[in-house]
Amino acid sequence: MATVASNPVPAHRQYLLLLHAAWRGQLQYRGNLVLTLIGGVLYQGVGLAFVWAVVAKFGHVGGWGMGELAFLYGVRLTAHAAWTIPFNRLNSMDWMVQRGEFDRYLIRPAGTLTQFLNWSTNIQPLGDLIGGVGVLVAASSAAPIDWSPTAVLYLLATIAGGALVECSLQLGLCGLSFRLQATYALRMNFIDNIMNNFGGYPLTIFPSVMRFALTFLLPLAFVAYLPANVLLHRTGELSVAPWLAWCAPLLGPLLFAAAYKFWYGQLKHYKSSGT
Amino acid sequence: MPTPKPIIQVEGLAKEFRRPKRIEGPFGGIRTLFTRQYVSKLAVDGIDFTVDEGELIGYLGPNGAGKSTTIKILTGILQPTQGSVEVAGVVPWKERERNARNIGVVFGQRTQLWWDLPLRDSLELIGKLYGVERDRHRANIERFTELLGLAAFIDTPVRQLSLGQRMRGDLAAAMLPEPRILYLDEPTIGLDVVAKERIRAFIATLNKDEGTTVILTTHDLDDVEKLCRRIVLIDGGKVLYDGSVEKLKARYAPRRRLVVQLAEGARWRGVAMPGVEEAPPEEDAEPGTVALLFDPETAASAEVIAAVLADHQVTDLSIVEPELEGVVHRIYAAREAVA
Amino acid sequence: MTLDATLPAQRLDLGRRLRAYAGIARVLSRTVMAYRSNFLVGSLGLLMQVFLLRVVWTSVFPSDGRTTTGGHAVTLGAQIAYSTLATVQFSLFSPWQVSMVPQRVRDGTVAVDLARPVGFNGQMFFGQVGFTLGNAPFALLALPFAILVGGAQPPSSAGTAGLYALSLLGGYLISLLLGSLMGMVAFWTLEIQGILMVYRMLSQFLAGALVPLWFMPGWLRGISQWLPFQGTTYTPIAVYLGQLGGALRAIGVQAVWVLVLWLLLRLVWSRALRRVTVQGG
Repeated sequence: MATVASNPVPAHRQYLLLLHAAWRGQLQYRGNLVLTLIGGVLYQGVGLAFVWAVVAKFGHVGGWGMGELAFLYGVRLTAHAAWTIPFNRLNSMDWMVQRGEFDRYLIRPAGTLTQFLNWSTNIQPLGDLIGGVGVLVAASSAAPIDWSPTAVLYLLATIAGGALVECSLQLGLCGLSFRLQATYALRMNFIDNIMNNFGGYPLTIFPSVMRFALTFLLPLAFVAYLPANVLLHRTGELSVAPWLAWCAPLLGPLLFAAAYKFWYGQLKHYKSSGT
Repeated sequence: MPTPKPIIQVEGLAKEFRRPKRIEGPFGGIRTLFTRQYVSKLAVDGIDFTVDEGELIGYLGPNGAGKSTTIKILTGILQPTQGSVEVAGVVPWKERERNARNIGVVFGQRTQLWWDLPLRDSLELIGKLYGVERDRHRANIERFTELLGLAAFIDTPVRQLSLGQRMRGDLAAAMLPEPRILYLDEPTIGLDVVAKERIRAFIATLNKDEGTTVILTTHDLDDVEKLCRRIVLIDGGKVLYDGSVEKLKARYAPRRRLVVQLAEGARWRGVAMPGVEEAPPEEDAEPGTVALLFDPETAASAEVIAAVLADHQVTDLSIVEPELEGVVHRIYAAREAVA
Repeated sequence: MTLDATLPAQRLDLGRRLRAYAGIARVLSRTVMAYRSNFLVGSLGLLMQVFLLRVVWTSVFPSDGRTTTGGHAVTLGAQIAYSTLATVQFSLFSPWQVSMVPQRVRDGTVAVDLARPVGFNGQMFFGQVGFTLGNAPFALLALPFAILVGGAQPPSSAGTAGLYALSLLGGYLISLLLGSLMGMVAFWTLEIQGILMVYRMLSQFLAGALVPLWFMPGWLRGISQWLPFQGTTYTPIAVYLGQLGGALRAIGVQAVWVLVLWLLLRLVWSRALRRVTVQGG
């Protein structure tokens, strides 16, 4: 009887192998790397420029000064970059499913999601990272934060948690694409749009119904706003309990575990190009 | 000789595609989410077959017959609605990755190579991804490079390869981990004659030398005629025929054709034998040729030839076997007439 | 691309040329309908933007709803009306696809365009006009909703309304010419996604689409005033709201920009044409 030559390979090694291949493929198009990155920075930066102009005239937004607002913006943007860099392929989910291109991620002995995410990549989210980290570094000294080691660790946990919250929403909705074929408009034009537009402001400026919706229906507040309040010692003005704000970074891992399971659960509804 | 063991067993396989009725217009996607109307279609409707280790079978059927769906279930891409499947002892959709280590898959219309990287990088990556021991993998790359003639373009990015080159690359990629079973979906589609021949020769070699079991899905019946001893023919999600190519012809196109070239000036006087009849003259037939149709079951070829030669002066004689193409077309046509 | 395709084609008479341009515009306006669901969802994003701006302005304005800046008074109502109008107008005048040229160069159809007996720039120009006209119904549809989630003010007089119409035309021409200039870059490099993104973001800010010039810090207002972008968005809306002292003078500045940009486009185009001819495609 014939024996096969292949042997099990650890999942993390396969991830790194495919990640490496994706980046090498992308770097073949060096074209205008710099302009693409600048474009990415400006795309996210224009929102902050607006905030800056408003503060320059009025001194605050919702009682927050420029340092505090920039800090909030930086946390949100860095979290955004932290998930879009490894997950930028989710953008192509609908197309992959509709065209049956997903087949190729189901015939190799490696995780389907690992293969899908690393089939190719996109450098533009790196612009978000540069912008986010830049704003964060500048704001760290301007904002009234006591930088203890605990605070630094809490900030890192916040960024990771916030990234996972946004990522989970997108991944979960992508899971629905196996059934519905198309979720792009919902994911990008609606949810991502709200996150990008509203994520940089203190929620106190919104009417209370919206504040509730952006906390508990679409957990935007958990991405950056609640933990930023903790670091800025502003939990007193929140309409939720301070402990909830403290625990905000924990929501990300929980949601992500659920979204990951959901995505794989929905995979059985994949129809390939069948009718 | 020991009886070969079945490597693929399919029983009562059915797959129904059910999708929510798509609602058009604004927010169609969201409205579709809440609809309860479904459109369903039975793509595979109770299929049974087994494949022995080392077989090379052609899996045929018209468009929409359910061939791709079957292959996708066997490879672990789709889950069936009903029935059982075992491939080398593994239920594909339950242990997808374990199954993937036993199989190689090539889709004619869709490459699995890394588009922006040189072919060599894809081939090397596959060795690492499948955990193939290094020296063994290197030796395999060398062997396939020679067998498939990859040397000329192995350092070219895949996106710059011609269709034929890309297909050879895909074949090499699928076979590098030495899978026990190779699924080929339209491997020669869109290729020129030379490229087709090269790929057919490679498949035949694999099957003969390595004992790789090959399941070939194709519209090109030349592929099947040159490669397969057995075919499984499906239509409407059901098995129409499962057996050897010869038996299929005997069943659906029993009559052979004897073409007689008469000597100059000779006249055709006819042959009086039961089961032999004259074929209607073909338009492009040369002057002086006559074609007879006969069933070798009732009239042996030798007797028909003897009867012709007894009465005529003949310069040439040939017996034409029915072509698979014609046979299969006839079967499809007959089914359509019934439906 | 063959050489003769790039030779100036024989000119048609004016009537025929206009008919040809109208045809091109019609075709482009129809392509919009094919993607209408995208635009509808896009309108939703627009409304969210309008709402957000209203919330932000409301939160920062003093409680009496008025503030003074650089010597003139702005009420909260006027500011919200400004941001509502600016958001809708900017999205209509400055779509992501600023010009047809990059697409035509990429898929090679530019050769066909050059062989037609009507000017290349005219075709591109009117193609883009058709694109805007195709989008206009969506913008008009979104406008009442935008006014609902944002706010509006009537023009202060019939004269103001007339000046606004004139200034709006000037703003649109400047948008088109700027977009055409950016599109020309495609003749030098096809990887222009980054460049277009940079252009879009800078122009959005400098046009006053987010912050009106009256709220910009002095030095930034100075820069914006000397650039053409403010003519696309800030000028017409400020005229509409009666916030500009010399409306006629502002419209005159717009006219000067139209002339300057048009001359610049011709210059760039003559360079681009030489490039196409030398390269031979």
